[in-house]
Amino acid sequence: MTAIERYAAPQSLDEALGILQQGEVTILAGGTDLMPQTKAGRVAFKPTLMNIGRVAGLKGVTLDGQHLRIGALTTISELLRDPLVAQHAPVLAEACDHFASDQIRNAGTLGGNINNASPAGDTLVPLIVLDTEVELASKPNGSVATRRMPLAEFFTGPGRTKRNANELLTAVRIPLPKPGHVARFYKFGTRPALDISTISIGIAGVMRDGTLTNTRVAFGAVAPTPVRAPRTEAALEGRRLDAGAIEAAADAARDEVNPIDDIRASAWYRKELIHNMTKRMLDHVAQA
Amino acid sequence: MNVAEKPVIAPESLIGQRIQKKDAPEKAAGKTRYIQDMIVPGVLHAKILRSSRVHAKIKSIDTSAAKALPGVHVVLTAADVPDQQPIGVARDHLPLKGERVRSLRDEIAAVAADSEEIAEAALRLIRVEYEDLPIVATPEDAIKPGAPLIHPVPLAADGQPKALPPKTPIAFAGKPDNIAMRFDYTHGDVAQAEAESDVVVEDTFQLHYVTHCCMGVSGVIAEFDASGNLLMYSNTQVPFLHKREFAEYLNIDPSRVRIIQPPIGGGFGSKLDIYPFEVICIFLARAAKRPVKMVFTREEEFLASPTRQPVLLTLRSGCKKDGTLTFRQVHTLHDNGAYTSWGATTPFVMMQTFSSLYRVPACDYHTTVVYTNNPYAGSFRGYGNLQATFAIEQHMDMLAEKIGMDPLNFRIKNAQDAGEVTGQGMSFKSCGFKECLTTAAERSDYRKKHADNLANRDAPGPVKRGIGMASMLHVGGGAKIYPSDGCGTILKLDDFANVTLITGASEIGQGSETVLSQLVCEELGLPISAVTVVNNDTAITPWDVGVHASRTTFIAGNSAIGAARKAKAKILAAAAKKHGCDEAMLDLRGGFVVVAETGEPVVELARLMRNLHFSDKAELVMTTFYYEPPSVHQDKGFKGDVSAAYAWATQVVEVEVDTDTGIVKMTKVTGTHDVGRVLNRLGLEGQIEGGVVMGQGYALTENLIVENGVTRNPNFRDYKLVTAPEIPEMDITFVESMDGEGPQGAKGVGEAPSICIAAAAANAIYNATGVRIFGLPFTPEAVYRALRGKAEKPNWQAWKSA
Ligand SMILES: Cc1cc2nc3c(=O)[nH]c(=O)nc-3n(C[C@H](O)[C@H](O)[C@H](O)COP(=O)(O)OP(=O)(O)OC[C@H]3O[C@@H](n4cnc5c(N)ncnc54)[C@H](O)[C@@H]3O)c2cc1C
Repeated sequence: MTAIERYAAPQSLDEALGILQQGEVTILAGGTDLMPQTKAGRVAFKPTLMNIGRVAGLKGVTLDGQHLRIGALTTISELLRDPLVAQHAPVLAEACDHFASDQIRNAGTLGGNINNASPAGDTLVPLIVLDTEVELASKPNGSVATRRMPLAEFFTGPGRTKRNANELLTAVRIPLPKPGHVARFYKFGTRPALDISTISIGIAGVMRDGTLTNTRVAFGAVAPTPVRAPRTEAALEGRRLDAGAIEAAADAARDEVNPIDDIRASAWYRKELIHNMTKRMLDHVAQA
Repeated sequence: MNVAEKPVIAPESLIGQRIQKKDAPEKAAGKTRYIQDMIVPGVLHAKILRSSRVHAKIKSIDTSAAKALPGVHVVLTAADVPDQQPIGVARDHLPLKGERVRSLRDEIAAVAADSEEIAEAALRLIRVEYEDLPIVATPEDAIKPGAPLIHPVPLAADGQPKALPPKTPIAFAGKPDNIAMRFDYTHGDVAQAEAESDVVVEDTFQLHYVTHCCMGVSGVIAEFDASGNLLMYSNTQVPFLHKREFAEYLNIDPSRVRIIQPPIGGGFGSKLDIYPFEVICIFLARAAKRPVKMVFTREEEFLASPTRQPVLLTLRSGCKKDGTLTFRQVHTLHDNGAYTSWGATTPFVMMQTFSSLYRVPACDYHTTVVYTNNPYAGSFRGYGNLQATFAIEQHMDMLAEKIGMDPLNFRIKNAQDAGEVTGQGMSFKSCGFKECLTTAAERSDYRKKHADNLANRDAPGPVKRGIGMASMLHVGGGAKIYPSDGCGTILKLDDFANVTLITGASEIGQGSETVLSQLVCEELGLPISAVTVVNNDTAITPWDVGVHASRTTFIAGNSAIGAARKAKAKILAAAAKKHGCDEAMLDLRGGFVVVAETGEPVVELARLMRNLHFSDKAELVMTTFYYEPPSVHQDKGFKGDVSAAYAWATQVVEVEVDTDTGIVKMTKVTGTHDVGRVLNRLGLEGQIEGGVVMGQGYALTENLIVENGVTRNPNFRDYKLVTAPEIPEMDITFVESMDGEGPQGAKGVGEAPSICIAAAAANAIYNATGVRIFGLPFTPEAVYRALRGKAEKPNWQAWKSA
């Protein structure tokens, strides 16, 4: 473990990006991933530890035209209680309801969950099926630059993302749902709370006359990153959501994922769960 | 108070009341000072270097860099303590390992330094060279011919076994095979009984590793004074046994060892043995000539504190068509781990359940305990009974089904009654078993739900409901294992009629201080607040064998009552003399000496006490009592009435099984316990509820995963304790069988509530799904596999003949 040489607690985005630009910085938000990881020796601190907790404007949920904008520092507890989230992205609140415990939810942030880039991160799958974009800010040559990218493309491996070292994730943007939009999330853990996902499933789309379009399916904890499931989506897109389509989609889901064996579950069991619960979720969508 | 203000005092009883635990406000406020919080001036902090290999020879240890680190005071290896003696039940365990490591927890070196951080840094500087040996990962492998030996007999230079004096401990003399212990018990003629059976079932059950997960991790502080006397602050459950053993290891007189127990953050049996860290801490303190403190990390607690005994068990049971049990035959293989602790002796309790829970004319029981390179098991609440009950109560359901009899009626038909003496010699003076069975069944609506669930098994929908029952027998009046199973009390009344209760019984969170105070106050007619309990210092408290075997309320309770009654007699005699009345007519109530029949006050107790103390014929009211239960040691064939009383319980578990995921949700537990008599209702309910949750964890979620000698989940993220939302609804009732020997009629209950849950859950899952699962825990994947016919069946053929 490297020793921390400098602690910074910037108050503005500008200041924070300036520090980042100097390089060799570890970003600290709620610390609920970072602290256990550094203590266990899995992650080493960089010489500068930057606490972004005081940076103005990184917190909260707002409407931004046709998008819901959620600041990176918004905590899981805040997402769970937020009226805009409840109205426009209830599936995200549902995921937060299965997230850790109250203590962790009060400290853990959305930006931390995304940047930790765990394949089992619980907000990732619902955000992906909602077509969420991430917003990254940097200050490469004296002025603030921002870029956006779909969350589905953000992850490159466990703990790895396309964020550059000089960038801060400032917010995510979720397009407001169209009429008939449905979204479901399911997390499998061995207990109702305080558990890391064994698998998770997100399904979204527009339901009209018993038919699903704009279908999005994503899975967590079955690959090195959370993944979209194109073959499962194709099995559903534009089809009547009847028993045959549901069974075909569930089969496609099982065949499409490539999970591993670990102490939480075997690969075989994960595939079975993906099949059975995709089917159960689609049954619920069809019946709703 | 003026006597005239209180004309008569009616009798009142504390027995059966809901009394708040005496230590509750401190604990709830976070003010309790555990060993972690203790600051001893001049203390050094210690850490242990553990093996990084499962099974290996140690070729060299280099501590020079660690010794050179500023702030390090002492670094010890086995070479530095040539006088170390083996510890443990079989004397097969040297605290510091010098030549060979046999499991990943093994202690190789220890450091005492100015801070924990320095001690840790020093550990990283120690270089150990190993030469790996083949790993013995399962007991089945350990008993195969030619298996690598865990404790090989040391060879002399000529290749022959070293000549050693007789009775040399295993730690030095080794063992020619991997068999640590054997237990064989028989009553009746099993072959004949089997021939007379109409139905026979046989199955193999696999019981897994779990560990205690005490909120307070292990810790100790050791300190020698200038005269060489040892003072230890220790979380032990057996201070008086330890005092003697530590003295033996140090070759000093036991009177020079003093053990003080700070408040203990949970025991559950984990603190019944001596462990290497305690001895090592003493070595460090001796070498450093400073107090030394050692406290485990949580990870260390998972890796290096004992587990529950894992067991592979084959049970063969038979009965007649009319539902009469005929025989039981049991073979178990116990994975001892690398060293022998109390886990190896769980057969003492297991065989009681097989021989005596139900009336069974013939019983044949065999255990082989074998060394492996796994963690070693210690004692754990229930002491083998969870394992035995898991097997026996599944067989009760299976036999009942085979003969087409209602499972409740089948149990009632074979249940023990008061007055019975079993094949093993246990004598049931009080026995509320049948009432437990019928009460729990009625309150849970067992019969109707059982039938409804069966009818609904094939109904559409993934979620199936099930109900299952299991019962248990456990010692409830101590257990005579040591020369004495007794406990001493000193009782002192001061000049304000406040009581100091000095008891040998240790408090580990179970509520003994409260219930003992209650029993004393019941005799002396005082409020609980009048009592101060002193129970944690071997230099002050009288002897007690330790807090285990559900014995404290029974044994220490009888002892406290004995001392209180002597005090009462003395007080009443003094009052009678002073007030010129007959002491037989007097009683103590509400802080007064009263006339028993009328309740008329004679004198305020505090005033009487002052009169006694402060006169020229000064008399102190200070009494002592030692209670030894009327139980006996077992003979060589394990027969004998080892406990002064026996506790009974029936628990009914209801579940919902999600057949798409394998998740088993425990929705309700209905428990009826024969506790003899309810003393502190609040404490009793707490004990039962906590025990049920512990049983639930054993059944559903807890699993210490040991693969090839490596503990894979030494943390609370992956070792899953039950969390609040999973705790089922509970309906707990008590049968008061008023045990003649028990304190106010009570019997021990500490271990009872954990014992039945896994067995009842297994029966409930079967009721829901028609699938029997023979191994624990019922984690979602294990259940799902079983539902899909993919469960791995435990294989016993390999070992049963061994
Ligand atoms: C007991 C426990 C239970 C948990 N249960 C769950 C659970 O059920 N589901 C789940 O998904 N997670 C769970 N977690 C993990 C963790 O709580 C979440 O991932 C949380 O959202 C992390 O947020 P944080 O603010 O604490 O992140 P931090 O630990 O502060 O940061 C995490 C990572 O992201 C980086 N980072 C943080 N913010 C930014 C930013 N704005 N821009 C760029 N980089 C940034 C940090 O440098 C670090 O690498 C659990 C953790 C614990 C300790």
